[in-house]
Amino acid sequence: MGELWRRISYLFNRRRLDDELESDMAFHREMTAAAGRYNFGNTLRMREQSREAWGWTWLDRLMQDLHYGVRILARSPGFTIMAVTILGIGIGVNIAAFSFFNMVALKPIPVRDAESIVRLERRSLDSYTSEMAYPSFAFYRDNARSLSAAMAVLGVPPMQIDDDLQPTSVSFVTPNFFTELGTPAAYGRLFTPSLDNSPAAQPSVILSYEVWQHRFSGDPSIIGRTIRISKRPATVIGILPYDFASLGGRGPDIWMPMAQQPYFIQGSKVLTDWRDSSVRMWGRLAPGLTAKVAEQELRGLTHQLQKQHPEAVWDENEFLQISPGSHLQVMQPRMYEVAGMVGVLTLLILAVSCANLGGLMLARAVAREREMSIRIAIGASRARILRQLFTESLMLASLGSAAGLAFGYVVMRVLLSFPNTPRWLSAMPDWRVLLFAAVLTFLAATFFGLAPALQIARQRQHKTIVRQFLVAAQVAASCVLLIVAALLVRATQHVIYTDPGFGYEQLLSIDPQLGKHGYSPETARAYLQHMQTRLHSVPGITSVSLVKLPPMGHIVSNSNTEINGHNVTLYPNWVEPGFFSTMGIPMKTGRTFIPGEKHAVVVSESFARQQWPGQNPLGKQIGEGDTKDTVIGVAGDAHINALNDDDAAEQYWPAKADDMPGMVVIARAAGEPGSFTPAVKSISESLDPKALPEIRQIKLLYRENVSQLEMIATAVSAIGIVAVAMAGFGLIGLVAFTVSQRTKEIAIRIALGANPVAVLSAVLRQFSWPVILGLVIGTTAAALGSRLLRVVLYGVSNLDPIGYACALVVLSAIVAVAGLLPAHRALRLDIARTLHYD
Amino acid sequence: MPPGALPMLILRVLQSSELHGYAIAQRIHVLSSEVLAVEEGLLYPTLQKMLLKGWVTADWGTSETNRKVRFYRLTPTGRAQLKAEIAGYDRATQAIQDILRTA
Repeated sequence: MGELWRRISYLFNRRRLDDELESDMAFHREMTAAAGRYNFGNTLRMREQSREAWGWTWLDRLMQDLHYGVRILARSPGFTIMAVTILGIGIGVNIAAFSFFNMVALKPIPVRDAESIVRLERRSLDSYTSEMAYPSFAFYRDNARSLSAAMAVLGVPPMQIDDDLQPTSVSFVTPNFFTELGTPAAYGRLFTPSLDNSPAAQPSVILSYEVWQHRFSGDPSIIGRTIRISKRPATVIGILPYDFASLGGRGPDIWMPMAQQPYFIQGSKVLTDWRDSSVRMWGRLAPGLTAKVAEQELRGLTHQLQKQHPEAVWDENEFLQISPGSHLQVMQPRMYEVAGMVGVLTLLILAVSCANLGGLMLARAVAREREMSIRIAIGASRARILRQLFTESLMLASLGSAAGLAFGYVVMRVLLSFPNTPRWLSAMPDWRVLLFAAVLTFLAATFFGLAPALQIARQRQHKTIVRQFLVAAQVAASCVLLIVAALLVRATQHVIYTDPGFGYEQLLSIDPQLGKHGYSPETARAYLQHMQTRLHSVPGITSVSLVKLPPMGHIVSNSNTEINGHNVTLYPNWVEPGFFSTMGIPMKTGRTFIPGEKHAVVVSESFARQQWPGQNPLGKQIGEGDTKDTVIGVAGDAHINALNDDDAAEQYWPAKADDMPGMVVIARAAGEPGSFTPAVKSISESLDPKALPEIRQIKLLYRENVSQLEMIATAVSAIGIVAVAMAGFGLIGLVAFTVSQRTKEIAIRIALGANPVAVLSAVLRQFSWPVILGLVIGTTAAALGSRLLRVVLYGVSNLDPIGYACALVVLSAIVAVAGLLPAHRALRLDIARTLHYD
Repeated sequence: MPPGALPMLILRVLQSSELHGYAIAQRIHVLSSEVLAVEEGLLYPTLQKMLLKGWVTADWGTSETNRKVRFYRLTPTGRAQLKAEIAGYDRATQAIQDILRTA
């Protein structure tokens, strides 16, 4: 039996061993007494010293402290409930935010060997895309030794099952997709490389559990049956499980093998075209290899690829960026920035709630003054009292964390109840969330408990400096939160109430995806020509035109430059002459293009203003080298692909013949644009039944965009209001407490005829400078920190004076009320009673 | 008493017979010609440590005053420990004496 083992067995036999020890020592006493010598030592103390040899004293003390803590907290349930509520809010907001981050970016998705799955994306110095050409994918797959497997997903516009009106989402995948993820089929079988890797194989599809349930009423006999996907017959071979976890978020409802893509989308050259970046690539790192090693190898392959197919690679700086692929979201640096920002805001809430609770603890410290002086008088050491108080704080913080975990769980349940959330996601906190909660518990306990505990242990309960510090901290933190909330509200208002610059209400965009169906520039031109003529003849359609990058489309192209010291994001576009009138974008000066015009460009108003301030932009030249284009017109600002970005500036070029396969039809309708969808469908059907266009109402896209912004602003405002409310109540408590401490002084002053205002200011003076200091620190911090907010504050400066003023006025008003309310009560004291008391 | 000597002395007095706590203190007191007095506050913590280390065990017995009391007894590990401690002690005293004589 080793020493450690014996030590542990001592832990469980402590009672018996203590009795034995007591008996030994009692016998010793009897014998010394019999020998005529008396020992006056403290027997209890000596026994305790002997027990210390066992090494379990800390546990005994902890149990003692916990026991005592429970009694203390149970004795004042009002305080305990208040404290747990305050902490529950502060910790809960943080846990909710972290749970979300955890779900999106930390938790590996439940697939086979998730850790080795990586996402591969093309990146160069100033270019970046998450998609690559299928032949490039095949090249990397066949040559990369650092990847043990490579999967590709080709997302295409929704397609039609049989004669459904509503289209269904679809993706093409390489046949190893499901085998690599280790997905079992709910019914039938999933794709396997041996069966589904050939264009000659029987056309087959796999259905998601949802579409199987809702579209096919969960009928298992669907397996083996033939359905039509956008008119092409195909056999249903399998159903995905209910809780299928796809790579890169929620998957589509229909899955088809990559090799059969040309069968389903007639005329498509996606599988052979080196220029068409359209598949997303995932890989599995070979065992024992790091992402760095793989990135090195792939860099070499990109160079080889550039030699063989220069058109497939941008430039010599291109490489494949490897990022962890096994999370719900492949995180981009920009997303980490946003996550960090949210993290700072939620931590500020925790700071407010801790400072708040710190104030409460200080007030209690005075109430517990007697208890503490008795304990010190009978020999408790300062360290022992500190430990006791800290145990109490930790208990409170743990209760607060439990409340916070419950809060976080509820928030996650609400989030997961949104439609289209993958089914495998769970709201239950996992070990990461629990660890996070434990760390927060400890931090919070330290923050709100340490200062009061130090004061108590040193018997300095009446010092005001800590109280003042807590007030300043609360005011500063809630100041930052309120300013941020105000800025976001202002930005949302800006977006909602600012004219987007084009008449979005009546627009339809019709994207026939001609390029994906193998159209050449000539055939595409003919198709679009027919489409436009036919649309014109539909009663109610007033105007039709073509554009390459339609409003709120799937593809956005931009570049950042600096013009005369202004940051400008340039949005180029390629349009037909009628584009401006169809979109409802006014021409400010000059004219639109003449059909067939070359070397001409139309710029937006703000571009003209920044590039040539105070000059006539017409006739100026744009471009470098010998391909200079002349400005022939200035259009009104219309940020059709950057609704919220005030830095955006547009440049429109005439669409060239080569652009035709990629052009999108824009139609302006009189009346409800949605009602024209059937007419548009029948036209496209008669033109080419293979090319089923994607028809979108710009109005709906616009509303979706705005409602997202509104949601963010509402959430942050709610958080800001909660913080301010907490700070307000905290201040009320502290002032009331100060007044109660000085009741006698106030009563004497009033009895002697002091001016009420003078009495009031005497009570409140100690709070005035912490409040002012808090406001100054908070405003400064917000001004400096909000530069990070630029990404979401479109249209509003991060130093927007109205936003700051609103926030500061609201905060000052709340602070003033919180201070005056309890202080005012002090003036209505019953003087005689107060002075008679003790 | 030099620090660390008490466990060695306890081991030594337990070598010949098993004794209860008071007897250990008495034996050391008597054998040292009443020079060394082992206080209760030092004896029992030391005994607890030795129990934990497994050098001694304690069993119930009856004292000369007919009271139920625990007797401490050396274990084989305790015997080995005593040998090692005596050897170490001899070496140290030898060294100290060498210095005292020659320096």
